[in-house]
Amino acid sequence: MEDATLIFVVVVALGFDFVNGFHDAANSIATVVSTRVLTPRQAVAWAASFNFIAFLVFGTHVATTIAKDVVEQGVLSIGVIFAGLVGAIVWDLITFWFGLPTSSSHALVGGMAGAAVAKGGFDVLVSEGLRKIGLFIILSPLIGLAVGLILTVVISWAFFRVRRLDRLNKGFRRGQLVSAAAFSLGHGANDAQKTMGIILALLIAGGHVADNGEVPLWVVLAAHTAIGLGTLAGGWRIVKTMGSKITRLQPAGGVAAETAAAATLFFTSAAGVPVSTTHTITGAIVGVGAARRLSAVRWGVAGRVVWAWVLTIPGAFLISALTYYAVEAFA
Amino acid sequence: MDRRAAFFALAALICAVLVPLAEEEFRTLTICVGATYLVLALASFFDHRSRPR
Repeated sequence: MEDATLIFVVVVALGFDFVNGFHDAANSIATVVSTRVLTPRQAVAWAASFNFIAFLVFGTHVATTIAKDVVEQGVLSIGVIFAGLVGAIVWDLITFWFGLPTSSSHALVGGMAGAAVAKGGFDVLVSEGLRKIGLFIILSPLIGLAVGLILTVVISWAFFRVRRLDRLNKGFRRGQLVSAAAFSLGHGANDAQKTMGIILALLIAGGHVADNGEVPLWVVLAAHTAIGLGTLAGGWRIVKTMGSKITRLQPAGGVAAETAAAATLFFTSAAGVPVSTTHTITGAIVGVGAARRLSAVRWGVAGRVVWAWVLTIPGAFLISALTYYAVEAFA
Repeated sequence: MDRRAAFFALAALICAVLVPLAEEEFRTLTICVGATYLVLALASFFDHRSRPR
């Protein structure tokens, strides 16, 4: 019976990964679609491929952080993880409905924390791990913004003498294929690992993996497949917000934004920090817009996005805590 | 008033607040990000001042 429940929650975790790919596909492909380098259909296929192969490039440090550094291992049970996942998925779907590019990662962290606190009180939170995640909630968009802005300035200086703008744009359109691929690689690495972390925690809680155990290969492959399939399914509402409502992008700006976000994701994935791919690319897009002038950024939309970020952890926390109480009442 | 310089200065200030809260391994990174925003704030301020009105 317990194994059947565990398998069910693993499927829910993979469902979260699918929703994450679906929700965040927009981040990977919004700029490529908005600059008309690829059609939406081609863009999702391109992003999904690089989401999938990310497991060949990066380790599993982020998965370990999610499994061991958010809440104490002793409090983790199948019920806690299930409630945490439900909170994150419900929050993702609510924000998806309103077209807000919020963070699935922070929804997951908030969800896990909410369910664990409902079971064991606030003492079960791992302050060191949450501090690291909290630091990068602020740092990752700031790094993306700064790198995006600096790259835009460098590109402007390097090519300001070029008179044939059509040829230059053609070059950057090709460049965007590479930068979008790099960003999708970073997205696959950081976000798929969060699901791996959840499944690892489940397997540890169920006694199928030792406390200090590594992520099994089938978990790695399943997580990357789920996020790749989710990306293939696509998320068009958010493409619109990311691709054109924050600031209008040219191909050169798209290259700068994606390269900046990819560099941030590569660094954080290697350092084992679970960051929001949404925050990172939003920061980078704002950086590209701010390089022209601050008024090129539509701050009303950017502000709406910031409010959604602020509400994500408490929102998912609350839904998960309520779900945990419901699970306990019915189980 | 150069709003862009003010925005970058605010980002530098946020990083300065985060430095003591950051773990040892990420402290240098936080300082570097803050220093970058400080440079960007100064560059934006002087760029704005040098423009003919």
